[in-house]
Amino acid sequence: PPDARDAAQTRARSAPAPLTDVARLCVCDLLVAQCDTNCCCDPDCSPEDFSLFTTCSVPVVTGDSHLCSQKAAVYSLDVEANPPERIFKLIDQVNPSIFCIHATNYEQALYLKSPEMPTPENFDELLHKFGSAAFSADPQGWNMDTEAPNPPEANETHRYEYGVPIQTEDAFLRLPSPVVSSWCSDANPAGFLVNQATKCIRSVSVEKCDSIPALNMLFYTNSSILAFVLQVNVSVQSIVVQSLNGMRTLLEGNDVLRLPVILGELCSNVVLGVSYHITYTDTGEITEAAAAFVLGAFTKEALSVQQSFQISFTQGNTEPVPLSGNPGYVVGLPVRAGVRPREYPFPAGFVSGRHQLSLVAGTARDCLAAQAARAPVLFGYNAVSGCHLRITAAMECQPVAQTLLDVLKGQSFPEYVASFGNSRAQDVLDWVPITHHVISEQRISTTLQSSCQIPVSLGIEVKWTKYGSLVNPQARIVNVTATVTTTTLRQLPSGRERIIPVTSSVVFTDISAPAEPGYKAWPTINIKLPFDFFYPFV
Amino acid sequence: PPMGILNNSSQLSSLPLQILFYVNGIYYIFYFLATLAMIIYKSQVFSYPDDFLAPDLAVLFLMAILEVPRLYLGCKGNLREEEAPLGLSLGLTVGSVVLSLYLLAWQTYVLRADVVLNALLLSAYGLEAGLKVTAIAAFVS
Repeated sequence: PPDARDAAQTRARSAPAPLTDVARLCVCDLLVAQCDTNCCCDPDCSPEDFSLFTTCSVPVVTGDSHLCSQKAAVYSLDVEANPPERIFKLIDQVNPSIFCIHATNYEQALYLKSPEMPTPENFDELLHKFGSAAFSADPQGWNMDTEAPNPPEANETHRYEYGVPIQTEDAFLRLPSPVVSSWCSDANPAGFLVNQATKCIRSVSVEKCDSIPALNMLFYTNSSILAFVLQVNVSVQSIVVQSLNGMRTLLEGNDVLRLPVILGELCSNVVLGVSYHITYTDTGEITEAAAAFVLGAFTKEALSVQQSFQISFTQGNTEPVPLSGNPGYVVGLPVRAGVRPREYPFPAGFVSGRHQLSLVAGTARDCLAAQAARAPVLFGYNAVSGCHLRITAAMECQPVAQTLLDVLKGQSFPEYVASFGNSRAQDVLDWVPITHHVISEQRISTTLQSSCQIPVSLGIEVKWTKYGSLVNPQARIVNVTATVTTTTLRQLPSGRERIIPVTSSVVFTDISAPAEPGYKAWPTINIKLPFDFFYPFV
Repeated sequence: PPMGILNNSSQLSSLPLQILFYVNGIYYIFYFLATLAMIIYKSQVFSYPDDFLAPDLAVLFLMAILEVPRLYLGCKGNLREEEAPLGLSLGLTVGSVVLSLYLLAWQTYVLRADVVLNALLLSAYGLEAGLKVTAIAAFVS
């Protein structure tokens, strides 16, 4: 009946009245219906208990000490009497200060305000006022926001953010997981970009195995994911059938739906594992969803099966760029390099796919045969490699020189090197140009400038520095120099052939400046008047 | 011509009233500063929301604004032996009495010092009012 409900609501709406009678207040009475030791104001204590006390832990109970005159309850122990007894006196305590409160016309001045009891009507408002980590003590400071913040689901351009549960037609994309105990709970939603893998136990029985929805493939594929623009159906990527002895076979033709079927004492086509693969874009939209199933069977003796679930997210339409460090280079990872395509009017960035800093492969003996095999330059590893070139008298100088240069530098020698391991191609300033030097091996400057100069070695010197904080320095490439050393090829007498060793090397030099201590800014004296200092003039 | 103006033994201006005006002026300056300081002290030590602080300060400043013309008109009326300014001053005194009563009894926090200051001020006003009435009676008759 509504009357009783209203009465109950009005009763529940007001908290119990505050206790202000000093004779009945007792701060040390902590144990209910038991006597607290040395608590002289405890009503649960009998005179025998009082005779065992040594002192009174609470000698005086008063109200606000600022009041001019107030009642005070004084408790003391009379140790002279035999047995000791408690003395209780109710006296009028007078505050001698001239600034004591004589009277007050403001009810809340001396008592703590009774909090508002939450009811279904004011619950939202109370949650808005007090629901955050801090709130203002001044009641005038709360401005009642009558306009509620926009619910995020109402916005059309909303996208998924990390951790947000993935919504489907009926509720959320479920990833059953163990909650508290190992039994599966179907109420665990999958969060966007949160890669999870869970295992849980589900209680089953052969008689009811086709009526338990969680053992059915349809339970995981029938609701489509809402991607706020379109609905994405969960497609079946693959089905693996696991036999009773644990052997798994992949089924051909993954568009067939296998529902649990009872065969005598066996229930088969039972879902034992689901692996979701969600593809998303960098704007937070889900483009594809696929589920790979593991179906199995269980016998009459089995009372439970273990199910495992997994969800992983991959970004679609991107080519993964392997990072060589984040941000500094990691020793052993390849040095990233690229070229800058000549685009008019502004070059857009660097292309680093095909171009890699590399040396002649160490296993090559003959340079011409070794043109395809190259070893990438790994950061921090100084390397020397080489090969032999067989020169016959019939070879011309220029082609030989060009061939040697190709062998040394490789097919696509880059022009720029990334200074950090994670430099993006768009960040033009993060890339360091490779400077080239050509030096001649001859000490004596020959006057025969027309003689043939062929490159015999390529030395790449990479200067790097430690960058960042002292406890976690990051390697940063500052300078890359490629030095080609040439030598004169003397004309061979016909019929003779010569073997020229060709070397390529890479050296990493640490040019870090010594660490500088960084001090925090000097503390400043910050004297400011409180903003209401000139109240009420300002 | 008003009687007794040439004979200095029968002047109508009230000397006690004039002394009281003088004392009242000095005491009021002290009273105003003390009450203002105590309101600032109360706002720091106790919980004094703006809704309650504003009327108390308004009353104090209103009383200060009324005090100046009240004393001036009183002095002028008493010295010139005119009853009109003195009567006006009496009216302003009534207003000041009401405001002082507010600060004595209906302020948000009434400290013991407030009680003492306001009691002294009210007694001064009361005495002044009595003397003004006799002075007006003397001037009129």
